[in-house]
Amino acid sequence: MKKVLATLLAGALAATMLIGCGSSAATTKEEAPAPAAEETKTTEETSSTEATEPVAASDDASGDVTIWYYWETAGHQEALNHIIQEFNGQQDKITVQAKYVPFADFKKQLSVGASAGELPDIVILDNPDHASYAAMGIFADITDRFDVSTYYPGPVNSCTLDGRLYGVPFGSNDLVLFYNEDMLAEAGCEVPTTWDELLDVAKKTTKGNVYGFAHSALQNEEGTFNFLPWVWSAGQTSYEINSEGGIKAMNFMKDLVESGAFPKEAINWTQGDTMNQFISGNLAMMINGTWQIPTMRQEVPDLKWNVAMIPQDKQQASGLGGENYAVIAGGNEEAAIAFLQYATSKDTCLYMMNAMGYISSDSTIADGQFDGDPVYQVFVDEMKYANARGPLPEWPDISDAISLAFNKVITGDATPEDAAVEAQATIDGILGK
Amino acid sequence: MKKLKGFFRYDNAGLLFILPAFIYMMAFVGYPIISNIFLSFQDVSVKNLVKGEKHFIGLDNYITIFNDGVFTKALGNTLLFTVACLIFQFLIGFLLALLFCKKFSFAKPIRGLTMIPWMMPMTVTALMFKFMFSTDVGIINYILRTAGLIQQNIEWLTTPGTAMIAVIIANVWIGIPFNTILLSTGLSTIPQELYESASVDGANAFQRFAKITLPLLRPTIESVLVLGFIYTFKVYDIVYVMTEGGPVNSTHLLSTYSYKLSFDLFQYSKGSAVANILFLILFLVGILYLKITMEGEND
Repeated sequence: MKKVLATLLAGALAATMLIGCGSSAATTKEEAPAPAAEETKTTEETSSTEATEPVAASDDASGDVTIWYYWETAGHQEALNHIIQEFNGQQDKITVQAKYVPFADFKKQLSVGASAGELPDIVILDNPDHASYAAMGIFADITDRFDVSTYYPGPVNSCTLDGRLYGVPFGSNDLVLFYNEDMLAEAGCEVPTTWDELLDVAKKTTKGNVYGFAHSALQNEEGTFNFLPWVWSAGQTSYEINSEGGIKAMNFMKDLVESGAFPKEAINWTQGDTMNQFISGNLAMMINGTWQIPTMRQEVPDLKWNVAMIPQDKQQASGLGGENYAVIAGGNEEAAIAFLQYATSKDTCLYMMNAMGYISSDSTIADGQFDGDPVYQVFVDEMKYANARGPLPEWPDISDAISLAFNKVITGDATPEDAAVEAQATIDGILGK
Repeated sequence: MKKLKGFFRYDNAGLLFILPAFIYMMAFVGYPIISNIFLSFQDVSVKNLVKGEKHFIGLDNYITIFNDGVFTKALGNTLLFTVACLIFQFLIGFLLALLFCKKFSFAKPIRGLTMIPWMMPMTVTALMFKFMFSTDVGIINYILRTAGLIQQNIEWLTTPGTAMIAVIIANVWIGIPFNTILLSTGLSTIPQELYESASVDGANAFQRFAKITLPLLRPTIESVLVLGFIYTFKVYDIVYVMTEGGPVNSTHLLSTYSYKLSFDLFQYSKGSAVANILFLILFLVGILYLKITMEGEND
């Protein structure tokens, strides 16, 4: 008896210890409540059929709508809350509420919520993850319920899986080259347009505490986003790492790091960290995105900086970023779509885009969005060359393989050739499934 | 009826008292663990988490992770991390405990101050160490350079080997107070008279330490080490914030790798298999701990 008790206690002890670590406690939830989820779905379905026929959505939709989002910038949060308040004030059937979920927790919350059947009605999520969740089946198919015919194909593509539309592009951003005008002038350099020029200018502007050039090279999606333009520019796709262009892109990274112009520490820098280094005067050039502009203009109005297209090898290339709205299947779908109609209408959309430094994904709104702002104009021009990542349900695994490869090259852990072979093996394994 | 009455005799009444706790543990601890074990034998990924069939695939997940270089690396890292942290935390903690059981002015307030690392939120500590270990502006490189110990800045968090050293140092700093406080409590229970009579008999300081302090402190030391092992083995936050398992997966622990598999890569079943290995090891250590403490009580 005592032994049994001891074993039980030991189990309990180990278990309580483990609970604290969060990861395992949360993973355990996955499998359990499948039946509960089914149940909620059926009840929701009946209530939504009662509510309305899909076409006249906005007239009959009612109830509460909850939105999850992950923007941590105060300006972004205020802008979202502003349009929500406006919407709630304009009509009295639907009440919209937004909840901030930190980016680091966002995917976890969605996964856990998906299995527990406790999801909001709308999520605003990073577009490369869209396909994974659509494949999981938690997003509503809104193919004939929302018109995206005037939207740019890249962003719409990121919401599409097997020809069906599972979301609405919220807004897009892309990457360009930022440079410190004074530092380039002091080194007597022109703005680089090719890889060779970039390497040259980066070397010349590196001195003292100043590094010539950097971009976020984290071993995650953020790093992949910043690295892939090199691969695309060398004429390859995201799935062709072990190729002439892929290896060339990695060799370019290697040259940058070995020249001392590109800080190895960029493997621990987020895009926000990179921007901070740039505005503190520790970086002469960086790759970064549209959304940094409002902050930079506010924080360092005196710093002389400008933007240019990302220096190219064979062709122009940039990364397409941005968020999508997705309606949760079985949630308050009609009311959610009614809100999306409002949020994507011209004036509301323009207000959001300008407050956040995003480019509208709706081409009719994006035309003329930045009239007379040369900085934003570069982003709009670069948009033509911006490639999307995926869409593929297994994109996170592909992205992981790519980011591991260039991290190995940057840290000197592997040669570009070896890293490429390894990444390609992983990618082929995923695609071959 | 008679049977029921018989059941509620004095001896069995005790079972009723533990019933609420038992139900609680089963619902909130037992159930998740069992369901996690089930999950690890299935093929749940992004495709069939919500919809679609989940198949039992036996030990496939375990076979896959044991063939996965990152997992074996993470397992090795976790053991290395735990053992290295335990040794340094324990030694430094013990020295501090011995220091604070001397009676000198301000001994108590200073001992209180040493608790700060233990009370600080892990994330804050981790961010602080991340800044301190940064290559160009970090204070650690600055101190080493000023002292003339290094010529070139060490790339602490961007080189695989040194990144591991950095996270170990950070975790040792956090763990020292835990060791100090438990060991000084243990020390204060040793009767002062023993030392006095030993001195009278001519024992020197080392002999007193080896023959009185260590044997009498044995139960405390065992507890500190086993609990320390459990706390260190499941560390997650410090590594996640400082390196996110990088550079090139060199600092992944079982906990961070399990999280990454489940929530970054959507391979839920593989993630839970890793979590179960972590659980199994802690389970065995937990049994060891109970064995030690129960033996102690029987003495």
